[in-house]
Amino acid sequence: MSKTSKEMILLYVFIGLFVLMAAISPAKFLSLGNLQSMATQLPELGLIALGMMVVILTGGIDLSITYTAALSGIAGALVLSTGYNAGIEGAAVMILIIKALLATLITALLCGSLNGFLVSYVGVSPILVTLGTMTLFEGVSVWLTKGGAVSGFPEQFQWIGNGYLGFVPVPILIFIVFAIVTGILLERTAWGRSVYMFGCNPIATYFSGINTKKVVMFVYLYAAILAAVAAIIMISRYNSAKVDYGSSYLLQSVAIVVLGGTDIAGGYGKVIGTVVAVGIVQVLSSGLNLIGINRFIVDVTMGALLIAVLLLNYFIGKRKQEKGVRKEAKKTSIAA
Amino acid sequence: MMKQLTKSKELWIFIMLIVLSVLISVRSSVFLRPDNLIDLLKNNAVLGIMALGMTLVIITGGIDVSVGAVVALLTVLAGKFMVTFSGNLLLVFLVAIASGILIGIINGTLIALANIPAIVVTLGSMSIINGLMLYYTNGSWINDLPTWFIDFGKITFFKFTDASGNMVGIPIQIVIFLIMIFLTWALLKYTLIGRAVYAIGGNPVSAKRVGINIGRTLIFVYAYMGFLAGVAAVTHTSIMRQVDPNAFLGFELQVVAAVVVGGASITGGSGSVIGTVLGVLFMAVLNNGLILTHIPTFWQKIIVGLIIILAVSFDVIQRKRMEKSLPRVDVEY
Repeated sequence: MSKTSKEMILLYVFIGLFVLMAAISPAKFLSLGNLQSMATQLPELGLIALGMMVVILTGGIDLSITYTAALSGIAGALVLSTGYNAGIEGAAVMILIIKALLATLITALLCGSLNGFLVSYVGVSPILVTLGTMTLFEGVSVWLTKGGAVSGFPEQFQWIGNGYLGFVPVPILIFIVFAIVTGILLERTAWGRSVYMFGCNPIATYFSGINTKKVVMFVYLYAAILAAVAAIIMISRYNSAKVDYGSSYLLQSVAIVVLGGTDIAGGYGKVIGTVVAVGIVQVLSSGLNLIGINRFIVDVTMGALLIAVLLLNYFIGKRKQEKGVRKEAKKTSIAA
Repeated sequence: MMKQLTKSKELWIFIMLIVLSVLISVRSSVFLRPDNLIDLLKNNAVLGIMALGMTLVIITGGIDVSVGAVVALLTVLAGKFMVTFSGNLLLVFLVAIASGILIGIINGTLIALANIPAIVVTLGSMSIINGLMLYYTNGSWINDLPTWFIDFGKITFFKFTDASGNMVGIPIQIVIFLIMIFLTWALLKYTLIGRAVYAIGGNPVSAKRVGINIGRTLIFVYAYMGFLAGVAAVTHTSIMRQVDPNAFLGFELQVVAAVVVGGASITGGSGSVIGTVLGVLFMAVLNNGLILTHIPTFWQKIIVGLIIILAVSFDVIQRKRMEKSLPRVDVEY
């Protein structure tokens, strides 16, 4: 990574903010409790942002991702709450939890395949497809829950969202695993390379013999899988499932992906950028909260940060380009 | 001519609107009553006014997700202004519209000159505006608007008595909506900048070559969106007679949905005022019909979702079929 790459700038911002927050209120910010609560809150948004990133890499967007999470979480919650009664224990509880996890995953895959099918095989623009499916999934979620919350889960299930391994919260471990998996899939597999290629130039990718339809289909399925994982953590942490859990993550996740250096037009973006961007947002919101700054001002700071980082990227890009042009000019003058 | 008509998206939306209206009026006798139809139009005037501006934005190939936050902020500004200074109607409109245009110019400048995609800029400004507005109001409502403003909201034209003996008339909010429809239609159809809007969305490179100033046109489009947000904010306040800072949560996607149902292409270049008005009417009739026929509201979401999916898929399939019937010049993709 060069010193002025987007990801390095972000990393400096992250470290700077972390040190700043730690310097302002070391006792509170650096306490184990605060670090643990940050690590518990970050994964839901982080997983959704990773899913959104994979879609944005192809030049698309998934507006339905939070309702995919909500709907699949509700499906899992319904399996849990209908199957659970005080009598069952031990292995039966484990089987029930596995069933619920499967129900969540399958529902999410159904949602993802609907998006993927319409985008890749029918050829509708992603923003329209997912605007439609977003409304559809929200409607189905309300229909299933009648607008209320689904609750009554076995105690063992809560471990996923609230448990610890040693002193490390379980959700952050799940997030790390999926961040690494996403990184490997994108950087080390043929599918991952095709995703970047498709984002840069879909037609050239098609003519180089890649089944672009399959590639895009899998992108939406993978985003749905990540949404399902976020949903599992979410319903476990709240010990219930409801339509509007996570709905505020939609535009936030797009903002994080862009903040993380991913090109909204597709073709460029790194997992590490998105992960650092989620970290920045978490440090900023937890830190400002601890200092006692109004949470609405936190939103303002995030928006300003997003625009500032983009302006910075724009000016750095422009300067690099000008430098390049000047070098070219020198070369030609020598040749002449 | 007939063939051209059957191919137009507007006709299809119009047919869907008629079919929907017939279905509802069969199940509910209230639907076609003049007072219900007038209420329906009045309650969707704000959505309609915003959708007109979004049509222009979408024709240029952009999107503005900050509109919910902007219109919320403008209602708060207009409300605070009235409560603090009283003032008069003209000043209230001026405050809301000028602030709206200012925000639009800032959005447009960032999009046009710094070359940042519209969705990203407006995401940022949404977050900033929403945060500032909620910090300022702390989420509390503004009541006690001056009586002259409340009287303004009650103005009705062409009063008449309908069959069941109710006094009905056209409320001022519908008149404002109609004026904005006409203004936007004339702007797109008869002005140079209106043609430039289509040209940019259709093909930015050729638009630049024929001498269109892309930057200035984009700034104008977002400023016009801000102008309409100002008008919508005052209209909304005149209906509600109070200001709720949280009233427009998630409104931006409703506005986009109405424009898209109206047949505007999200990749830019096509879209029309008539289509958007039909799209708004469709959403309004659907919502109203479901309430009148006592169908649970989640069905509205499911139906709207399905209609968006079907409408856009149908559109793409039709276009593909048309392309196939054309003589092939380029390599097929």
